[in-house]
Amino acid sequence: MSNPFALRHTTAAVATLVGLISVASVQIASAADKANTKAAGTYVTGDFHNHSTCSDGSLSMQKLIDKSVKTFGLDWFVQADHGGSSARNCTLREDPFEPVPTALGLTNSATGPYPPATFPSAGQPASTLKGPNQSWESTLPGGRADIKGDGTATPKAMWRWQEIKEFQYKVTEDESRARQKPIWMGVEQNAPGHEHVSTTVLQGQKPWPQAGVMGNATLQAQFEYCFDRSDTDTSRGAENQWDCSVAGTTSTDALDATARKIKGTNAAATPDLGHRKTLEGIKWMKEKAPTTSYFVPAHLERAGIYNPTGNNGFNIEHLRNFNNTAPDIAFGFESMPGHQASPQRGEYAPNRGASLANPTGGVDSVGLGTFGGTGIYAAKIGGVWDALLGEGRKFWFFASSDYHNRGSFGPDQRESNQDFFPGEYQKDYVMVRKGTNNLSAEAIIDGLRTGNSFAGSGDLIDRLAFVACAANPAIPRPAFKALVEKAAANAALKNAEVRINGCATMGEKLVVAPGADVVVAIAVRDPQGKNFSPYSFPNPSLKQINITQPLDMPVLDHIDVIGGNVTGFVSPTDTAKYAGIEGTAAASNPSAGVKKVFNSTNWTATSDGLRVMSYRIPAVKVSQYLRMRGTNLPAATPFETDASGNPLNDYDLSPFTDAAKAEAEKPGKVVCADAACPTHMRTVAGVKYSSFDVAAWADLWFYSNPVYIEVTGSVKVAGAK
Amino acid sequence: MIFQRAFSSSFILSAVLALSACGGNGTSGTVNLDVIAADFSSKISSAFADLTSVAGLNAKALTNLFDEKFLDGGSTKAELVSTLTATSTALGTTPELSLFPLASITNVKLTGCDTKDICTLNGTLTNSDADTTTVDFSTKVIVIGGIVYFYGDQSSTTSI
Repeated sequence: MSNPFALRHTTAAVATLVGLISVASVQIASAADKANTKAAGTYVTGDFHNHSTCSDGSLSMQKLIDKSVKTFGLDWFVQADHGGSSARNCTLREDPFEPVPTALGLTNSATGPYPPATFPSAGQPASTLKGPNQSWESTLPGGRADIKGDGTATPKAMWRWQEIKEFQYKVTEDESRARQKPIWMGVEQNAPGHEHVSTTVLQGQKPWPQAGVMGNATLQAQFEYCFDRSDTDTSRGAENQWDCSVAGTTSTDALDATARKIKGTNAAATPDLGHRKTLEGIKWMKEKAPTTSYFVPAHLERAGIYNPTGNNGFNIEHLRNFNNTAPDIAFGFESMPGHQASPQRGEYAPNRGASLANPTGGVDSVGLGTFGGTGIYAAKIGGVWDALLGEGRKFWFFASSDYHNRGSFGPDQRESNQDFFPGEYQKDYVMVRKGTNNLSAEAIIDGLRTGNSFAGSGDLIDRLAFVACAANPAIPRPAFKALVEKAAANAALKNAEVRINGCATMGEKLVVAPGADVVVAIAVRDPQGKNFSPYSFPNPSLKQINITQPLDMPVLDHIDVIGGNVTGFVSPTDTAKYAGIEGTAAASNPSAGVKKVFNSTNWTATSDGLRVMSYRIPAVKVSQYLRMRGTNLPAATPFETDASGNPLNDYDLSPFTDAAKAEAEKPGKVVCADAACPTHMRTVAGVKYSSFDVAAWADLWFYSNPVYIEVTGSVKVAGAK
Repeated sequence: MIFQRAFSSSFILSAVLALSACGGNGTSGTVNLDVIAADFSSKISSAFADLTSVAGLNAKALTNLFDEKFLDGGSTKAELVSTLTATSTALGTTPELSLFPLASITNVKLTGCDTKDICTLNGTLTNSDADTTTVDFSTKVIVIGGIVYFYGDQSSTTSI
């Protein structure tokens, strides 16, 4: 069941790449002394990775957008279907007069009045050949003739570049301006040589608050044509006659004479070709839209380790290659994937993709599952993310919902055994600074790039101020502590950041003399009231330890401050330290660990849900970083957290057995015994087990991005190659 | 310069006898605490304002406000001097150094002076770099020769 591609293959592959990669000099914002130059800002919520029927989703763009920014209240949204092609016309709304299919009844899955409410939105769920499930060929005025580029299937599929450029963009812009929220087009790139990457090329798009003449997503469409693995069209975008060359590239991979793009991907005959093509795509973004693009690998542990002759996952060397190529574009990863209610949480599992014909032929997701809903690259202390942060890289943590459907439930039902809507379960909270155009797509991308953001699930927290300050030795310690705690509390109440000279927040670095004390202050808000969970019965995971807490009213149990040393960028030529799978020295930071734990015994709680805390790091000697995680689960919650509070493997908690693997059904670990436990839970031998959406609502986490502390005379943080 | 405690008692008793008595049973009881508190507040503000330059960090204006026996949550005057010196050195070579958060101290009040002229200083700390943050605080000071010095809680235990 394990991935057949050994480390020696990947390191060898990297050796062939290092000559092609220039290691960029990266500057972390040193904003600690510029408080009065930082415009006031606000954290805004959004999601940049979800699907409509223009790829493999189940809804029209309009309904998906309505759910995201209206029902679940996100401040911004990016429509990012897969690259490739699709026969369905996602711009057609659901039909409000279409009867609701019986199987998708809007009241309940089986138990009458429970759950009590639906989340209706415009249009009924569309059945086959209705609404957005109709084909382009059957709904365009010219029929098949209106579908451009290569293709012989009936109905003819439309290449994503045409969908984006000629149809989808207009919908996003119309929706954005009508709803007065930034909504724009992205693409979940089927990255050559890898699985998926969330991308945007914003240049040309004019979402709200822009007005007037309609913009365009031509560059986004061209990126898809040029660099998506599944876009095998050779038409050069028909009348567009695109050319995918990258100015000044050192790539030796020639463009195809007809298609004018690099054809092919990782394969036995062309190992690593796909990865090199993906790097070309990042260079292209840097050339065309250096400040309005992003490239964020999605669910990057899911498809296993990197495979030089296939299109699987990402090892740390690939993340380093991306970040070296364009640190202002490839600045993070979605290590908290979507599909959180799916049978195998996040769709991470051992032997993933096995079939009845080949029951052992799947690939192990790295880590063999998620951990508290997060992939092992970020969830494991001292692992891949800590290794990257230990270099002083700009490399940030994000979450996405990756909405496709709700499994056996309809889109307006509240249960799910597959996905959650954007904003329903996970959110990215991103700092947007107020300027002339307060909340704009550009400002949001700026916020994503800076690392001044955090992400979480289940509305465990909805406010965060996280700051490290150089301790003023002349101010009495209790007074200084009170000052920075008050600043953090004020910031959290305003949904803003601390702006004090000598303090740095997420994505920034504090530069101090050796021996200086640093005071870390944190304020979070545990929102009062209910989240979007439809379940009010006691959390079955907490019930194991005699805590009775409604699933829809989670309580933050504790926060871990995690830190590690910064030792500088690793050179691509130092293969042993640069390249390796999870668990190897190259993908580890042994200095990382939990530096401080806060809970109700050492934070100050207020009635509005604010939790305020601080601690002093005495006499710092080496450059380092601090990041945070928090959860509703105490340490040593059986099958959820270990004695140190680390999240345990979610697949082990609910080892869903795919029929394709021809394995016997295995019981879960946490019994869902409450009378209100829904009928769709995994049931083995008559026992219901916490699984699907219940398992997700039971196990909530948030992650902050890091604050860096650079000690003069020690290692520069992101200041050197 | 810093007054030594041996210098203080009898001299100050005569020198400030005319000032209104507001404090406890030591010599501080013979001085106008409001006046010396205001003077102290002014000196702090001035010293803090200088902390943004190498020269200011090396100046004595700030350290002179601390008694030689200053001890607060394990922090000593020697450590204060050491930190300022290290910061000064670093600032000389690292322009992007993050200087300390600064604050003004207002509403300074001295109360509860004991027989050793150790008083409680209550004040308001305000940072207005961008947003305004204000907290009330108290700390121990010592009054020597009619001048206030930070004295600290005299605890060697660090809990903050």
